[in-house]
Amino acid sequence: MTEDQFYRYLDVHGADLARWPGEARAAAERLIAGDDSAREAFNAARRIDGLIVRHLAASAGDTTAADRVLVKLAQPLPAQKGRLLSRLPGLLLDLQFAPAWPRVAALACCAALGFAIGISGVDRRIDGSDAVTRPSVADLTTAVFEPEPLTGARP
Amino acid sequence: MDDSDEALMARLARGDEAAFRELSRRHVPAMVALARRITGNAADAEDVAQDAMLRVWTNAARWRPLASFRTWLTRIVVNLCLDRKRRAAWVELEAAGDIVDPSPDAEKRIEGGEVERQLAAAIDRLPSRQRAAIVLTYHEGMSNAHVAEILDTSVSAVETLLVRARQSLRAALRGVRE
Repeated sequence: MTEDQFYRYLDVHGADLARWPGEARAAAERLIAGDDSAREAFNAARRIDGLIVRHLAASAGDTTAADRVLVKLAQPLPAQKGRLLSRLPGLLLDLQFAPAWPRVAALACCAALGFAIGISGVDRRIDGSDAVTRPSVADLTTAVFEPEPLTGARP
Repeated sequence: MDDSDEALMARLARGDEAAFRELSRRHVPAMVALARRITGNAADAEDVAQDAMLRVWTNAARWRPLASFRTWLTRIVVNLCLDRKRRAAWVELEAAGDIVDPSPDAEKRIEGGEVERQLAAAIDRLPSRQRAAIVLTYHEGMSNAHVAEILDTSVSAVETLLVRARQSLRAALRGVRE
């Protein structure tokens, strides 16, 4: 690692070597151990990092600020956006389907039974009469060519 | 009963106010402190934290558990802080010129109140995104990737923000010596 690379890493990652990439960390440790200027730069950066941490820790403000916010949030809340649409998936997710396989199996059996009855004709009357009424040709002609009863218009 | 943040958010999306109160109790203190560090203003910090929690409430249906609730909330707070800075016509101090050499002997005098005051003033003068990156890195202990996620940018952009911020702070401390 060259000194320029070392200073670049120092700017990018700070003096906490734990934040450095693994291979760069090992090379930096060797450089710090063997190069006085690199070691002094590293120590200086570490002291600045310490000052920043200390400053930020001291600038949290007073502890009553959060209490004031919580009091304000205790007021009646505004309406939520998309409430009805958002509730539906949640309600569906709340339904307890487990264990699902007995219900699925029962549903599949019902479907198969209905299909079998439908194609076998078991549900049809056995007296031979066809319950379906077919319209005669005359009925169809009347329906197509007779004038409209209300307006008198012809098709 | 699952009382994780994510479980509370699922209840909150169904309009459960008790879940909202619990989430607020857990996170408001940290969010006020975070906003205080980024905005540098106590009143703004309280407004930001309140606004952020109300947005959590009103937009709860939009939340998807792709990231942790804490990350989502931090992102809302940071964005509100940056918006507030923009609206306040914040005069950004561009970083000082490139300083490749950290000037080893410059920080030997980093002792005493004057240096700390200068550092505090220099942090206050940082552009808002640089300051947010510094706060998230040094105080929240986030990785550069996590900071990038919060700031909705790339890791390399975060590294650039941090480099400029560190160079500015170092330049400010060198000025103290001089």
